[in-house]
Amino acid sequence: MKFSFNWIRQLTENLHVSPQDLGRLITTKTAECEGVDAYGEHLAHVCVARVLAVEPIGSGRNKKVLVETGRYGLKTVVCGAPNCRPGMVSAYVPPGTRLDGREIGVAVIDGVASEGMLASGAELGINRDASGILELDGEPGAPLPGCEPDHVLEIDNKAITHRPDLWGHHGLAREVAAITGAALREPVRLDLLPEGAAPVRVEIEDLELCPRYSALALENVTVGPSPLWLQYRLQAVGLNPINNVVDVTNYVMAELAQPMHAFDWDLLRGPAICVRPARDGERLLALNEQEYRLDQRDLVIADARGPIALAGVIGGLDTGIHEGTRRIVLESACFQASSIRKTSSRHKLRTDASMRFEKAQDPVNTVRGLARALELLRQVCPGIRVAGGVADAGRPLPVPPSILLPVEWLCRKLGRAVEPAEVTRILKRLGFGVEEAEPGALRVTVPSWRATRDVSIKDDLVEEVGRMIGYDAIAPQAPAVVVAPPPPSPERLFHRAVRRTMVELGFTEVYNYSFVGEEQARRFGMDPADHVRVANPIGTDRTLLRRSLLPEIFENILENSKHYEHFRIFEIGREIHKQPAGLPREIPHMMAAIYSRQGVEDGLMELKRAAEHLMEGCELCPGFSRSYEHPARAGSVVWRGTVVGRLFELHPSLLEGRAAVLDLDLQVMLALQEDGKRYRPIRRFPASAFDLSVIADRRELAANLSRQLADLAAPELEAITYLRQYSGPPLPEGKKSVSFRLTVAAPDRTLSSEEVGAIRARIIEGMRARGYDFRL
Amino acid sequence: MLEATLEDLQARALERIRGARSMEELEAARVEALGRKGALGHISKELGKLPPEERARVGRLLNAVKQCLEESFEARRKEFEEEALRRRLEAEWLDLTLPAPEPKRGHFHPVTQVQAEIEDLFTSLGFTVLDGPEVETEYHNFDALNIPPDHPARDVQDTFWLTDGNLLRTHTSPVQIRGMERFKPPLRMIAPGRVFRNEEVDASHEHTFYQVEGMMVDREVSVAHLIYFMKLMVNAIFRREVAVRLRPGYFPFVEPGFELDMQCLLCEGAGCPACKHSGWVEMIGCGLVHPNVLRMSGIDPEEWMGFAFGLGLTRLVMMRFGIDDIRYLQSGDLRFLHQF
Ligand SMILES: [Zn+2]
Repeated sequence: MKFSFNWIRQLTENLHVSPQDLGRLITTKTAECEGVDAYGEHLAHVCVARVLAVEPIGSGRNKKVLVETGRYGLKTVVCGAPNCRPGMVSAYVPPGTRLDGREIGVAVIDGVASEGMLASGAELGINRDASGILELDGEPGAPLPGCEPDHVLEIDNKAITHRPDLWGHHGLAREVAAITGAALREPVRLDLLPEGAAPVRVEIEDLELCPRYSALALENVTVGPSPLWLQYRLQAVGLNPINNVVDVTNYVMAELAQPMHAFDWDLLRGPAICVRPARDGERLLALNEQEYRLDQRDLVIADARGPIALAGVIGGLDTGIHEGTRRIVLESACFQASSIRKTSSRHKLRTDASMRFEKAQDPVNTVRGLARALELLRQVCPGIRVAGGVADAGRPLPVPPSILLPVEWLCRKLGRAVEPAEVTRILKRLGFGVEEAEPGALRVTVPSWRATRDVSIKDDLVEEVGRMIGYDAIAPQAPAVVVAPPPPSPERLFHRAVRRTMVELGFTEVYNYSFVGEEQARRFGMDPADHVRVANPIGTDRTLLRRSLLPEIFENILENSKHYEHFRIFEIGREIHKQPAGLPREIPHMMAAIYSRQGVEDGLMELKRAAEHLMEGCELCPGFSRSYEHPARAGSVVWRGTVVGRLFELHPSLLEGRAAVLDLDLQVMLALQEDGKRYRPIRRFPASAFDLSVIADRRELAANLSRQLADLAAPELEAITYLRQYSGPPLPEGKKSVSFRLTVAAPDRTLSSEEVGAIRARIIEGMRARGYDFRL
Repeated sequence: MLEATLEDLQARALERIRGARSMEELEAARVEALGRKGALGHISKELGKLPPEERARVGRLLNAVKQCLEESFEARRKEFEEEALRRRLEAEWLDLTLPAPEPKRGHFHPVTQVQAEIEDLFTSLGFTVLDGPEVETEYHNFDALNIPPDHPARDVQDTFWLTDGNLLRTHTSPVQIRGMERFKPPLRMIAPGRVFRNEEVDASHEHTFYQVEGMMVDREVSVAHLIYFMKLMVNAIFRREVAVRLRPGYFPFVEPGFELDMQCLLCEGAGCPACKHSGWVEMIGCGLVHPNVLRMSGIDPEEWMGFAFGLGLTRLVMMRFGIDDIRYLQSGDLRFLHQF
């Protein structure tokens, strides 16, 4: 939202603050001011000038023009404007002036030295008319009337969504007055409003949707361009000057935050203006020349024929002001914020009016807007007359809320002492009514422009007082609270430990999106229908919530394999699983991958090692494989009897090189953590060890052999350790030999060599009975 | 007669000791002279046959020869050992400038690093670290936070809605609600996490980013306390005294609400492109917990007060490391991640 510094100065008295300082003050006390920019600086040098003589030069449109500039004397300029003629009065820009970032110099055009230029309204930033040079009145040398250099303050729209009053200059001027101690001027003279019966009737169907609709009819209207000062003012705050009637409605909106609309009275049909929900299928051709198809969720202003405006958003083209308009009806109304917001977003049409109405405007303001507009129209539209009194429909105005404010409570909230007198002064300057309700407590009445949504409880007043005394005036203070360790968060600590282990083992942490596309899901054997689906996805490749970290990890592998021969990555993130009802289940997983382009690094075993670092004694159970897994290199990770994840190589058809992947369910792992560790005495009698090499089929699992040996060695077995495996001569094709070291002991004595021999013989015999052979 | 033999034997043995070219040759010479069946052993057997007075004299000589030879052997053996050790040391020269075998240590994601620092800081101040779901109900994300149904924050364009009617949380603030539902006051908590906004991605906007939510509810909680913790946090994160300012900011779930700006670290407040020439950078949205929010979570606002804040973790990480493109954070690009 753009604010003119000159406008604010006009609405205050004794404002002695630079625009930049004002911007800073507004930021720290009211709402963020994102920038303060000079506007129309060049107008300090531009002056009124009379064209004395015009002489064609060259073959084009350019003319050599002699002008009397008063301030700068007689000047010769080259001008190509079609309306340039002797005797006219226009605007002269002397050399050395900067226009739109460009310095005007003495240029030689068609052999004539042009000392400066005559300028159009668009070139001067006064309006958007670039069709010819400005047509003015006045004496040469005089400044352009009402067009002084200004500054524009840009206030962040998001910072004032809760402040309907700050969508107009008067509201901001009130803040400025409260901040700086300047006095606020009242721009509205309600006494100007005519008495008597209104010539137009207003009917409101739903007072919730339209709490108030005020209208004023005027006649003997002459539509034409506004005076320069009005055009310049609107242009400075980013509004497009159109004609005197429309410009006045926009001016009032920018000043009082009250959107207004002007209808051509002669184009309205029927005796009444009706505010009602649209009927399904009704259409409105709007002022922007777009046609809107309406339904009953839209509120419209209608005459006997149908909609003439989309309430609070935009007027209709057919009933708008045009050059020949002679009689007008001014609308100044108040609409329900949420209804306007919905309509405007449904039709993707945000206008200066809808932006204001969706902030919940003050119903008191409607007739104020009419009074101000009437005063301005009398200035810019000579001869205009009111046609009867004000039509004012609506429900009774709400009673201003009053809040009991205990001053001691306020000080506790702020953490700083504030005198009741200061609280009173601050609130009064902001327009609140304040009186002492009881000792130590104030009765505060909320002004209508703050009562629509913004201020309703005493906490809201803490903000008013706090921001005005200034938050930098509140000293930081440590709270006096009980010192105690916070409740633990075991999941966080566990995830941290997993992260640390993985990083120490050489893995780099990646973060991936929670979204996947259907194609990605299918590639990894998942049905898109099993996913939680985004209703408004950011792209077709991001329509589902991930049920596995794999699709994105796979993308990471592909991308990074362009730059690296081999690498290790991991991610800790949530799988999101659809549930029959309620929120989906979010399961934290850790997925790690080792990639090697040459297929050299033994990624699977390295990942198995990582799994063992995370879970001492975890086991790998091959069995089945999934479509995207290498069928001979895949297994489940089992810990403490529970499946906690998968270890596999990606199917070689998916990529070049080798990629091993470990996927662990951190929630299950956390549940399997044990603390209660107990010490066991160290054995006092020495143990004995011997090695055995079992001959088995090549695909026999080492874990299977180890388990069988262990069964046979019980109960004397202390430990069994894998040593090595071998295949090749003299073993027959398809066979391998796997060697283990077995350690046996008794708890109460040293085993004799005969006893050890007997155990060994028992094991060999047992294995032979199961069809295994030994290399002895 | 024996004496001459002994002297001869000694001379020959010494000759062989000196001449030995290896440990093996030396050992052979030793066995020949001093071994059980060696020359000296042979002579000592002869000793018994001598008359007693001669036996004593020759015996002494025998011992002297034996000792002499043993010492010589020992000395020579040491020479060999020293030589062997010297050779081994020579052979075992290692180029310590060679790189250690792979893998090198990996890298924590930059967000993880800063998040851990913040968690540790607040844990040390008695705050617990909480977590909440990334998929949230409309109630927890909006209603319970005093964001009315027609508030612009609920606009479709900002929120990722799911077809089941739930949504992806647009801020970590719902964890405030979940925290209050789980723990009774007094409570102190923070909640770091991933949040989502339906925004076009460019160098400074992401649809997925990180925040840290914080909340304290107690009998007496004031703006002064809030400022205390915010300053503490900013100084700890940047490991120096950083100027901050509090200014009004609007969030429906706090009243009063603030934006906390910190002085731009790049220009020290003088103004630069990074801070849009204001000298300040928006860092934290915060305020005193709105009584409606307390009430909706079953806490009596007349008895309890609280503050809450939401910190843009992603933005903080970018400032801390000077990252100029937000998209790198979720890219999985190791050329980026290996730098942290
Ligand atoms: Zn800066």
